[in-house]
Formats: sequence, structure tokens, C-alpha cells
Amino acid sequence: MSTGQKELKEGVLNAGLCINCGACVNLCPYFAAYKDRTVTLHVCDLEEGRCYAYCPRTPTDLEFLRRSLFDPDDLTAELGPFKGLYITRAADETVRASAQHGGTVSALMALALEESLIDAAVLAEESERYLPQGIAVEDSSEVKRRGGSKFVTSPTVAAFNAAASSGYDKIGVVATPCQTLALAKMRLKPQPAKDDYIDKLRLVIGLFCGWAFSWRDLSKLLQDKAEEASILGMDIPPSKYECMEVYTTNGTLTIPLDEVLPCVKEGCQYCFDMTAEFSDLSVGSARLPEGWDTAKGWNQVIVRSQAGQELLDLARSKGVLEFRDLPDGNLEKLKTASMNKKRFCVESLIKKSGSPDELLYLDPHDPVFSSLLS
Amino acid sequence: MSVMLDGKEGMEYMVMGNEAIVRGALEAGLKVASGYPGTPSSEIIERLSDVAKDAGIYVEWSVNEKVAAEVAAAASFAQLRSLASMKQVGVNVASDFLLHLAITGTRGGMVLVTCEDPAAHSSSNEGDSRGYARMMEFPLLEPGDFQEAKDMTKWAFEFSEEIGNLVMVRSVTRLSHASGNVKFGPLPRTEAQAEYRFSGAFLDPVAGPMISTGFGHRIQQEKLKKVREIFEDSPFNTYQGPDEPELLIITCSVGNLYCKEAIKALGIEDRVGLLKMGTTWPLPPNLIKKYLLMTDEILIIEEILPFLEDNVKVLAAEMVQEIGAKKFYGKHAGQIPSFGELSADLVIQSLADLLDLGYETVAQEYTDKASAAAFARAPQRELTFCPGCPHRASFWAIHNALELDGRQGFVCGDIGCYSLAALPTGFSTAKTGHAMGSGAGVASGFAKLRQFGMDQPVLAVCGDSTFFHAAIPALVNAVHHQADFTLIVLDNSGTAMTGFQSHPGLNINAMKDEVPALDIPAICQAMGARVEVRDPFDLEETQKTLNELMEYTEGTKVLVLKQACALSPEKKRVKSYNMQINEENCIGQDCGCNRLCTRIFRCPGLIWDEVKKVARIDEVICAGCGVCADICPAGAIVREEA
Amino acid sequence: MENGKLSKDPYNLIITGVGGQGNVLASRILGNMMVRQGCHVTIGETFGATQRGGSVMSNLRISEISAWSPQIPKGQADMIVALEPTEAIRLLGKYGHPEIKVLTNTRAIHSVGVIAGELKYPSLNEIKEPLQELTGEVWLVDATEEAMKLGNPILSNTIMLGALAGTGVIPMQRDHFKEVMSETMGQDRLEINLKAYDLGAELIKH
Repeated sequence: MSTGQKELKEGVLNAGLCINCGACVNLCPYFAAYKDRTVTLHVCDLEEGRCYAYCPRTPTDLEFLRRSLFDPDDLTAELGPFKGLYITRAADETVRASAQHGGTVSALMALALEESLIDAAVLAEESERYLPQGIAVEDSSEVKRRGGSKFVTSPTVAAFNAAASSGYDKIGVVATPCQTLALAKMRLKPQPAKDDYIDKLRLVIGLFCGWAFSWRDLSKLLQDKAEEASILGMDIPPSKYECMEVYTTNGTLTIPLDEVLPCVKEGCQYCFDMTAEFSDLSVGSARLPEGWDTAKGWNQVIVRSQAGQELLDLARSKGVLEFRDLPDGNLEKLKTASMNKKRFCVESLIKKSGSPDELLYLDPHDPVFSSLLS
Repeated sequence: MSVMLDGKEGMEYMVMGNEAIVRGALEAGLKVASGYPGTPSSEIIERLSDVAKDAGIYVEWSVNEKVAAEVAAAASFAQLRSLASMKQVGVNVASDFLLHLAITGTRGGMVLVTCEDPAAHSSSNEGDSRGYARMMEFPLLEPGDFQEAKDMTKWAFEFSEEIGNLVMVRSVTRLSHASGNVKFGPLPRTEAQAEYRFSGAFLDPVAGPMISTGFGHRIQQEKLKKVREIFEDSPFNTYQGPDEPELLIITCSVGNLYCKEAIKALGIEDRVGLLKMGTTWPLPPNLIKKYLLMTDEILIIEEILPFLEDNVKVLAAEMVQEIGAKKFYGKHAGQIPSFGELSADLVIQSLADLLDLGYETVAQEYTDKASAAAFARAPQRELTFCPGCPHRASFWAIHNALELDGRQGFVCGDIGCYSLAALPTGFSTAKTGHAMGSGAGVASGFAKLRQFGMDQPVLAVCGDSTFFHAAIPALVNAVHHQADFTLIVLDNSGTAMTGFQSHPGLNINAMKDEVPALDIPAICQAMGARVEVRDPFDLEETQKTLNELMEYTEGTKVLVLKQACALSPEKKRVKSYNMQINEENCIGQDCGCNRLCTRIFRCPGLIWDEVKKVARIDEVICAGCGVCADICPAGAIVREEA
Repeated sequence: MENGKLSKDPYNLIITGVGGQGNVLASRILGNMMVRQGCHVTIGETFGATQRGGSVMSNLRISEISAWSPQIPKGQADMIVALEPTEAIRLLGKYGHPEIKVLTNTRAIHSVGVIAGELKYPSLNEIKEPLQELTGEVWLVDATEEAMKLGNPILSNTIMLGALAGTGVIPMQRDHFKEVMSETMGQDRLEINLKAYDLGAELIKH
């Protein structure tokens, strides 16, 4: 079977599975990421393409991928590779101030740059209203400035592709779950002659992600709700997963979740990964007994790889991160939430395919999903 | 130096049909000529403008054909001899004025030359405008060879003055753009004084005002009667053949040349007669009767529509008591197609079929073999934008902008080189294509369908010459009605398709005088459109601007893409860049490029090296515009200032 | 040919090439030369949209007796002069016959279909093969390469005209070429064109 642009277009783009992660962009002149969509500019007739091979929504042997990239002993069904769960925040207050929650991601990426573990960090920045784009930065202060969640997917992998071909040698990426999967697929080098640049990928910090918005729908919703007020930020508190909080110049606006959910990107329905399982470290918002007001100043961190562990340890020893004890029950709650997303994903795929044995890009025999099917 | 003026009386010269027409007009003492360029008519005004200063005549490229006819008519009203020239579709544009002109009549001899394009070699249709002569009731002449093209044009001016009405001379591609020997006549030395007289009585043909009214129709009918009488004795209607032919062929225009050749080829000079009509509307009834009486079987051979055929049949029906019933062959009976152009082969074949003759010049076996060789060894040549053509860059940006936008936007095409935008060379972006200026008009209509749920972005294109010719009224309409679309003016600094004739956007006219140039962006701005100007060779900026304009939904937008045509006098054979391929960097057909430059961009200046599997520059073809360097994903196409 | 008579009347000659190669100009120069020879010449050609990368063709009907129609009938060309080699092959099916002669430039111009990889351009051998099999005589000239040596590829058309004179299939006189050219160009360009014309004739002799 051919695995090129045509199949990618039919099976992913036209099928509504694409999340605009950027994996197929900047590899060739045929794809572009534009306003929250991945676009094919011209027809490529190659039978095999990296676009298809790297896409997180094309069929993959995920179990093989997990076992190849991580210690098989660390693999869990709920959270993927797992070495430990931590509650952390950036020690530097200014980093925390510009961050969504505890600033852990910014602090770790900045540290990696400062310690020359990497020479470029690829991350997302907002280019126009709510519309993020990927960017490569060399200076740790640049990383710290660009904290804060983006609610629309940034085609960050496209920025990695561009950075890797523009002279950087050691690159770290801040990635959503779909993007960590794309980067993991790249690491297997499906087209050996063309994949050398993947070796420049040294660090992947994953972000927990429930789903992202469609840019056009979100823009419209916020335009309707916030009217003239300018929006300073937004959040969906995990502890009260029932509304979206929008922080505006006129105060906090609360939008019920059932008004928000129709704006969720279609492709996100088919995502099985909440915790960015194919990363070195994944970071998300924390749950703390003191409640959301305190919790939103902290992060939860899952360490998945040796490299991830080393970076976290370095951050601890350098005093870049502050740690506090993991509250009881946090791991279980995280596992439940993660499995809920997997379950929803499998249900959505069955609904789309029309058959309980047909999960489109996922393999029903994969150990993680087979249990959900029975 | 031009043979048009310097050619000596009594000498034979090999000239194009269009040049024969020019010489005929000069021999008639032409004073004013106007036209709008269009293949195959353009050389008429071009040659006249070349000699305008020396011949003391006024020549202009008018903004469109209607204005050209009006300009020529004014000269006629002021008692000068004048000519308006255009291609078949131009007659449609001029027709509104012509209908009124036919009623007021003319004073100085006025000739409308239409050069038509059977088989649409260089047209978007093969319309036959002879119908206008019948509909508007003015005489029609169709030269049957090169000599006649000259002689008939010269006579047409005298004839026009004799009847006080304009005369249409119709040529076709195979005459206009073919060349043959023509014997020149004398050039007059006349001084002309222009004066428009209007103080006579209302319908006074010489001294009254020229105002079209219903009363004029009666006078026009009388003129037509006179025309018929004059045509009865016209030397342009000729007969060759036996007194009692088995078959009478009636033909006109280049059909004459093919018929002569076919009769010779089949050796049937004794069996068929050839009546060549030069005066094809109105037909002289007595002359037609005389020849119809010779035989009972008649084959009518002409190009495109059965114009001559139908008119002959009407006469035959009227005269049936005197001449008896006839058997007609031609378009209605199926011997001659009503589309495409004629050829000697086609006439030979229909005559051979009718007379039951065998005709084969080459053994079928040879033809089959040669056709197979052509199929296998001579790859088809699809039409393409020239190397260095700014349209390739423009449509590249347009295509990418539409794909990025993603709302199924499309381009309303128009007439010009950029009509090719419907083909892969223009990345198949144009989705409508009709008359001059219709892109803007049709887009203006699409844009008013928003209330019916149409949310596709609409783009229209027109060239600079087309903008002045017919897009301005459409744009006025669009701005006034707040039609949400973007008109892209592909300004390549000339009427490029037909060979760089001047237009109102340039500071030079047909006679090479310096004249004020009209500013397209300023005109659009004055109308109230949002206007942007870009260089299409800046692919990224052009695409970005287009995307922004497509997002901007308040009213009509204009993007002027300004870059001179690669064949323009200032650019022709001048390379901006020397292009090279860095073979090391060329990704070729691998993942990461898949031959973008040769497979998709398709500039003829780039070729694909099958052996090395890299792109190459064909240094003979490459125009050195440098655009391909910007599309290469690997930086393998390198440009260096020339 | 020494007596300046046509070997056949009318002599039907086609000049073919690709839009933009200068087909029209070449046919007019040759036509004017033959008129100076005292012939009736009819040239049929189309130009306009067809020039945009398409195949173009001029039909020359040369006669000492009368004028002929602007289109050569099927199977009745006597000579094809091709400014591009595949264009010669393309015309054989319609105009060719076993005795037809072909003079062709060897320089390929790839059509966009070939450039895009949708069609295949034949090798020189694949071009020679049908030309040799389907014609009475064939001459191949590297006119474009020679023209580039003279400094401008556009001179290839003049080299081809010179080569045509060199074949001797029709009576062409160098003086007529000079006269015709001098009517349209200055002395410097005339000289290089005369050089190209002579070079073309030489290429056929050797």
C-alpha cells in the first residue's frame, strides 16, 4: 500500500483526524500550516512520504514504538512510560508570572539551554489572536517570556523541522501529546536516507492536553463573549472541569463547558493521549488539597525517560525548580483521567469507522486499547 | 522604411493578407485608422502606425472596438476615409455603435475590417460575424486571395462613399496571417480637409446632423437596394469552369483557394464550375440566378456558419419558378462541417465523395507508420506561459493563497495570455472564462450570492489592456454594489498576447508619440476599491496580500500585480539573472521535493535530467527571471545577477 | 538546381518548430528569397496563442506558375525544415510520404509535459530512427550549438536556412538572403547572419 500525500490527505486531512501538529510541514514544499489548518499546496505523487510516516494520525505499531524508545519496564497502560510523578514549580517568580501554572516547562527548557544540553528550544508563541506558531529560540530568556498555555494547537513540529535543517545541532521541543507522538515516530527513522536530522532532537517536554480549540470557532466564541474587552488569558481548571475561565481587562468571564466544547477541534476527539506519553518529561496542571487557587501555581510532572530524569534532577540540584510532596491519590486521579480520554477516543473512532473492530489509525490489538474494547 | 509605403506601383511583393489590406487602404487614400488588437487582425493597425507619420495619417489603438468604430466614424462624418479593424469578437463589442451607424450612414468612405479565426487558433471562440452585416444591413465583402484583399479594400472605400454607408471587409486567419504575392497599385497624393457639416436638414445625408432615428431605416433599405445592383456587376464575383457543369461550387473567402486546389488535384476542371463570391451580403440575385441555371447540383463551401449557403438558398427558393428545384450540398446536408476551418484536403474529400472519385496520395501503410512514430516519438506540446512570464508567478501565488485559504475559492478568468490559467501552466486556478472584462463582471455577480450561502472567496483576473477595454464598468458595478471579491490586475505593461500594442496605461501611443498614461491603482482607488500593488515575482508577499484581501470582506478589492512581460521590448533577450542548478543540493524526485520546479512549476526554462536525476536550466530557453530560485525547497536553484 | 528551376511545382516546404523559436521570421525570409527568384509564394501560418509553447508550422507553397492555397494537402510536403527535431516527426503522419526530405536541428526543446514527467522525450537515436525510415533523405544539424558558438542561439534559424540552401532542394541564392536581411537589420547584425548562413551551408557539405 502507498503511504504518501494522497493517503495522508484521504486518511487524515479529509477524514477530520488532523490536528495541525506540523509534523508534515517544512519537510517539503507540498504542505503548509495556515491559520490552524494543515494545507496541501500541490499534489505530490510519491508513493512513500515522510509526511505520512511522521503523522501521529496514521497507523503505527505503538507498542513497538514504546518499547523502542523507553525502558519496557517503565511502561504502564494508563500513563505510558512512567518513572515518577512530581509536584514542582519554577523557583523564579518572574518565570511563574508569565507561565500558565507553575512555570516548570519554561524553567526546564531554559535550564537545558543554559546548560548547553540543547542549542535551540522549539516552542509555541502566539502570532495573532489566539493563533500560535512554532518558533525556535536560542536564549533562555526567550523561553521564559513565552510561557503560558496556548488553546489552539501550534504547528510546533513544523518549527522543529525547520530548525533542524537550519543549522542547530541539539534541539529541545515543547510539545503537545500529538506532537510528542509525531516526534517519536520520527525517531524510528522510517525513511533512513532522509531522517538523519532527527538525531538533533535531544529533549521533548510534553504538555498535558485534554483537547485544543479550532481557531476559527474559538475566535468567534470569544468575540461574542468578551466583546470589546481584551483577553489576558484563559484556563480550564481540572478540579472544576465544567467551565472555562477567561481573564479579561473587565475581570474573569466564566463560560460553561457545553458552550465551549463545540469549539473543540474535531481531530482532538480522536486523541488517546492526555499526558504526552512519548516525551522525556510531561508537565501539566497540579491538583492540590488546598484547592485550585493554590494548585494553579504548581505543576505535575511525569518523568518518562532517563534523560527526563537527569534534567529534573539537575533542576532540583541547581535550585531551578521547587518541589513539594505528591498528595495522596493524585496518581490514581491522573490515571483515571488519562484512561477516560483513551476510552472517549476509542468510542469516537468506533463511531467514525462504524465498526467496533476498526479504530482507523489505532490498532485494536494494541495492549492499551484492546482492554478498552472488550 | 516599409514596403507598405515604398512598394512600387506595378511591382509584386510577398505580403501578409493583413498587409495587403493595409496597402489597399493606403492606395484608397485612408486618413484615419483605429482598432483594438486581436489575433489575427493586429498587423493592420501596426503596419498603418508604422507609416502613419510618413503617410500623414492618424492611427490609434483605441481602448476597445466600440470606441475604435466611433473614432473611425467621426473621421468619415468629417468626410475623410477611415478604417476600423478588429477580430471577430471585437465586432460584438462594436456592434452597439455599428447598428446606429448603419442607420445614419457615413460620408467619407468607411471600412470595417474584421479578421476572423475559424478553428479558433488564437481565440476563445470561432464566432462568425458575417451575420452582423445581414442583421445591420450593410454590405459585406470577402476577399478570396491576397491580391483581392488589397484590391477589394481599396474599392471598399469608394463603394462606401457611393452608397453612403460603411462597408465590412472580412478576412480570416488563413488570409490575414498567410502571405502571398500582391501586385501594388499607385498611392494617391491627396490633401484632406476635415469638416463636419451639420446645419442641413435632419435626414440630409451630406449636410445634416448624424443622428440615428427610426426614420433612417427606410433610407438604409434604399441603400441596400443600390448595393445589390452594384454587386450584380462586381468583378469580385468570378466564375471558372464549363458552361454546364455537373456540379456548381459556390464559395467565398479562402474557400476559393482550397476549391481551386481541390479541382486541380482531382483533375475535374471540365466537370465542376467554381463561383467565387466576393460580395457575400447582400447577394446579387440575378448573378446567382445565372449560375444556378447552369446545373441542378450545387455545393456551397465556406467556413464556420452556413451564411452564404442560407442566403443562396433563400434566393433559390424565391426563384424556384424560374430555375427549378435544386439539390444543395454543404453544411446542412453534411458535406462541409459547420465548425473549424477548411483545408484543401477537406474540399478534396467532399468533392471526391460527391463525384464518386478515388483519391489517395500516400499509401495508408506509410501514414499509419508515420502517425505511430509521431505518437511515440513526438511528445504533445501543451500551451504554457513563456519562460520568465510574470503570470506563472502570479498564478503560483494565487494558487497557494487559495489553497491556504481553504474555502474553495476560485478565479474568474478573462481574455489574454492569462486565459491559460485554466491549464496546469496556471495551476488550473481559472474556473470561468468568457469575454473581455467578463472575469470582473462574473466575479461581481458571484460575490452577491453571499445571502444564498455562498462563502467561497472570489477572485477575478484581467490584464492591463483588458482593464481599460472592458473591466472598468464591471469594477464600477462591483464597488457600487459592495461586491466582496478581489480583482487582480495582471499588469504586464502592454497588450502582450497580440504583440505589445500600446494601451491607455502606457505613456506611448500607436504612433510612438508621448501621451499621458492612466494610472490603474489610482483609478481603482478613485472608484472606492481597496487597492494594493505588488510585484508578482515576490511570491510570498503576493500570496500574503491575497490571503489578507480574501479575509477582508468589506466591499471590492483590487490587487495590481505589476511586472513586465518577458517578451516586452525592454525585457526580451535580457536576462535579469543567470540561473544555475547546484546539483549537490538538488533533491530531485525524492521525498522533500519530488521535482517541484519541473513537475509543478513547469517553467520551460527548467528541464529534468533523466540520467542524473536533477533539474537543469536550459540556457537557451531560460529568460533569467529568477523566480524558480524562490520555489526551490533546497536552495539548489541559484540566481546570480546577470 | 544550377538552372534555378524548382524540382517540382508547386514545391511544398514546411518550416516547423516550437512557439518562440522564430518560425514565422524564417518562413518570411525564405519566402521573400523565393519571390526574388521569380516565384509565386504562399505562406500559411498561424500565430498568437499557439506561440505559447505549442508546435508551430509554416506552410510554404513555392511555384513558378501560380499561387496555391496556404495549407499543404495531406501527404504532399516535399521538404520539412524542423527547428526542433521531434516536430519533424510529428508532421510525417499528415504531410509525409516515402520520398519526403527532412532537415532538422538536433537541439531538443522539452514540452511542459516532458518537463513535468508526464511524457517522455526520445533520445537522439529514437529521433533518427523514424526519420531515416520514413523519409527519402534526412540531414541533421546541430544548429543551436553552432549558433551559441557564434554568440546567440537565435542565429540557429539562419544556420538552418543556410543548411537548407546547402541541401540544394530548392534554388536559393545567397545574394537574395543578403538583400532580404539587409531590409530589416543593420550592418553588424547582417554580417553575423551571413556568417551563420554560410556556416549552415558548410555543415551540410561536410
